[in-house]
Amino acid sequence: MSEYSIIGKPTRNVDGPAKVSGEAIYTFDMVLPNMLYGKLLRSPYPHAKIISIDTSEAEKLQGVKAVITGKDTPGGKYGLWRRFPELCDQTALAMDKVRFIGDPVAAVAAVTAEIAERALDLINVEYEILPAVFEPLEAIKDDAPLLHDDISNNINITRHVEWGDVDEAFKNSDYVREDRFIYGSQATASTEVHNSLASYDKGTGRLTVWSSTQSPYYLQLGLADALKMREGDIRVIKPHVGGGFGGKNSTMPDSVNAALLSMKTGMPVKIVYNREEEFTCTEHRTAMNLAVKMGFKKDGTIMAKEFKLITDGGAYTALGPTALYLTGTYATFPYNIPSYRYDGVRTYNNKMWSTSVRSFGATEAQYATEIQLDRAAHDLGISPIEIRRKNAMTPGYEAPGQYKVGSCGLLECIDKVEKRIKEKWTDLSKDEGVGFTTFAYMCGGIFNWIDTPYAFSGAMIKVNIDGTVDLFTQASDIGQGTNTVNVMICAEELGIGIEDIRLHPADTATTPVDLGAWASRETMMNGNAVKDAARNVKEKLIEIARMKLGENIVYDLEAKNKRIYLAIRPERGFSYYDIVKDAIKLNDGEPIIGVGHYTPHRKGMVSPAWAFGSMAVRVKVDREIGHVEVKDVIVAHDCGQPINPLGVRGQVEGSVHLGLGWGLCEEQPTDNGMVLNPSFADYKIIRTRDMPQIELHEVLTHEPEGPFGAKESAEGAVGPTAPAIANAIFHITGAEFSSNTLKPEKVWRAIREAEEKAKKPAKR
Amino acid sequence: MKKQLKFIVNGNPYDIWIEPRLLLVQVLRDELRLTGTHRGCDSGTCCVCTVNIDGKAVKSCSVLALQANGKEVLTIEGMANGPKLHPVQEAFVDNWAFQCGFCTSGQIMASNALLKENPNPTREEVQHAMDGHLCRCTGYNMINEAIRDAAGRLQAQKSEEKAK
Amino acid sequence: MANINYRCPCCRKISPDTHDLARHYLGQTDKKHKDWLKTKGLSYAQLITWQVTEFGNKGYEALAKVLEKEATKVEI
Repeated sequence: MSEYSIIGKPTRNVDGPAKVSGEAIYTFDMVLPNMLYGKLLRSPYPHAKIISIDTSEAEKLQGVKAVITGKDTPGGKYGLWRRFPELCDQTALAMDKVRFIGDPVAAVAAVTAEIAERALDLINVEYEILPAVFEPLEAIKDDAPLLHDDISNNINITRHVEWGDVDEAFKNSDYVREDRFIYGSQATASTEVHNSLASYDKGTGRLTVWSSTQSPYYLQLGLADALKMREGDIRVIKPHVGGGFGGKNSTMPDSVNAALLSMKTGMPVKIVYNREEEFTCTEHRTAMNLAVKMGFKKDGTIMAKEFKLITDGGAYTALGPTALYLTGTYATFPYNIPSYRYDGVRTYNNKMWSTSVRSFGATEAQYATEIQLDRAAHDLGISPIEIRRKNAMTPGYEAPGQYKVGSCGLLECIDKVEKRIKEKWTDLSKDEGVGFTTFAYMCGGIFNWIDTPYAFSGAMIKVNIDGTVDLFTQASDIGQGTNTVNVMICAEELGIGIEDIRLHPADTATTPVDLGAWASRETMMNGNAVKDAARNVKEKLIEIARMKLGENIVYDLEAKNKRIYLAIRPERGFSYYDIVKDAIKLNDGEPIIGVGHYTPHRKGMVSPAWAFGSMAVRVKVDREIGHVEVKDVIVAHDCGQPINPLGVRGQVEGSVHLGLGWGLCEEQPTDNGMVLNPSFADYKIIRTRDMPQIELHEVLTHEPEGPFGAKESAEGAVGPTAPAIANAIFHITGAEFSSNTLKPEKVWRAIREAEEKAKKPAKR
Repeated sequence: MKKQLKFIVNGNPYDIWIEPRLLLVQVLRDELRLTGTHRGCDSGTCCVCTVNIDGKAVKSCSVLALQANGKEVLTIEGMANGPKLHPVQEAFVDNWAFQCGFCTSGQIMASNALLKENPNPTREEVQHAMDGHLCRCTGYNMINEAIRDAAGRLQAQKSEEKAK
Repeated sequence: MANINYRCPCCRKISPDTHDLARHYLGQTDKKHKDWLKTKGLSYAQLITWQVTEFGNKGYEALAKVLEKEATKVEI
């Protein structure tokens, strides 16, 4: 294979200059002429019937332009699992009852945000309080209050996966262990809150919505369903987005109600959440309750695994069922599991709903898997590294009827981290220890619960007479660097420079559908679509060059370094820029347009490819106060061919940061459905002083399905972080954990318990 | 009742009348339309809105605009020298020290103030100075490296100027 | 050669064995499936709870036993 000119080279972010100079425009920064400010009135009760709403006083307030309630809306139901109409369970505003504290019941548009806020106080809602249910297993009971009339037992979705003869395999195991875990949720805590600006065109009846979203297409569909409009009459534009982390996939009340208010007033309307709304009324990581059983041979070989999962759904569906599905899938990663049984249920309850948060499914599954594996290794007298090496997935691995693994550099990653631990961490004190974990992550989802008829991703390219290129893609750069990746892929495939390309991203009116930024799908899916579009253009140019060279078809031509030439005789060729001119002139002036798309085929049910890696953390525990310090992190990472090493490193660093937060300090306690810590003062995220340095090693593989062999890098490293810390604490102190958020008190108690246990004569 | 606010923002003199209750961030964003200064919380706990007042890093949500009366305010929009990015901005781009970019203005303004006070900070000194700045994307390390890279660039720039 | 298959008592689903049929059955959340269980003295909530909280296939097995008796056998 020839050397790449652009792929794999550290490349500055194409949005960089705009982002460091305050010129990058976020929805948050936008103001349109004549714009109104919208606010939402939210339910103070977790479960209540709406008896009446009196908006007359609010409407009288000077400066108020519109007040709407459920009855003023078209009542369209929407959700992300569109294939199943019964799971489209959201409406713009509550129609007859509220299902969680914060469920919106009315929306106001006024000339200032302050007046809109004051108007909320003047709306009089009479509620009949209904019994509420908050715990997933309580919600399932026959006598539990029902959230949705047509859904019995509050069961949102169930899932069962089974392969191999699980019971027989457990019988044949030398060692079987069962462990149970409970996880809390995690806020996405994006620095840009959810906000949307909607502008209704009175002349055409069309709607334009700018929104802080991870998926313009999903928002377009959600709005179409909610407003009962045609998709094509709704244009969604994603400006720069101040972080998503999984919480901006759904159509949220800000965008739907901004649209409704704009349609009612004929003026642009903007709704911006405040930070408290962000913490209490936006999507968070799914809290879970799970039981894991694994059977081993004496030598550590995994024989069977059972995984039982109950997820804390909250009031609506969103991507919650996907979290359920993926957790059950990731419970088998990244190991060879010959027989497996998984049962999961997601139930509704009267809390803000849970959904995807960065590395969803993987983080939760891996915590249990990696902790259980270390406990088993300890009991079997095998090292944590050895038990992982013995069971590691290898290239071509297949889970029957579920998924296929293509490239896999897991063993190399394990070797690399092991080597670096031995070289680097030679001076561990008695309060220090090492936690070792492995991980895998998907490169986009194959499932199509959104029910799109389109390819999963598309791209268009227009080549101008001077050779400059306009690239149109709907990929959502929410900070991860997708825009840069796409420009690099386009430049490499066309053999031109990054400076030749102008990117037009994420506008549903001008770009072909892409499903958005979730499950680390953009590099694989949009990258492939961009590459396909560029190939399409390249073929047109090569045709012209071939004609000019007069060579027959057995001679291959290449486009590289702004030239198009004979592959075997590189000196015979032309400037790319000249060929572009010729191509346009020779073809009656027709513009050069390339289109491309990507949809995975024959890759199983989950993902077209899988990234792998392994991680070690060096941890210091203060046994007296339970404080945990993560001193150093080593990661070896197989993301195939890294497109932009700078971006890859950024993603791994950020993933570890989120994993540290979930593992050590982030939690969202609730009381009767009320989130108790809705501010950055009370919700602790990892700050710079708590952040360890990360030594990152890229293990190069070539993924045949990925653009230039690339795989994901955006989420995989979240999952292994927390269990690595828990494992390190286990090795230092013997303390065992059955939950995340290892705050000092929890660690202190676990250490005391371990000490008590050690005093007893019987061996654990 | 509105009160007079006379101050300098990014080198430009302003003489405006504002409601005294307004925070500096509100005046910068809503009155002057300098939207490069973002706002991440409502409680003074994220530092996203940091600007410089008379060379010091200040959370613009935690001071009234009138407190800037007679002072010099520098926001992200005033960092570049015409079309040329400031060395701190360059270092942030070269080191991939931002992702979503929403907290970046505040990070850069705090870095600018830090490097004036301490032209050659260690990793720990940067961590200490920047501890209040929440970033959900980067994990901070690449920001820390960018700031120390910027320190080198600023010193190089200084010695170049001296040489002239 | 004809095989014995089982028809779901509440819909058109046909399964090669009662275990598979039980799996189908508990995946359905409509009233008809749920109510039929009640007439057989089973609770949908109980079966699901068994299935997701206890190791093994206790929920499916309990339902399969009933389906063995109750489901119409069809030859295919």
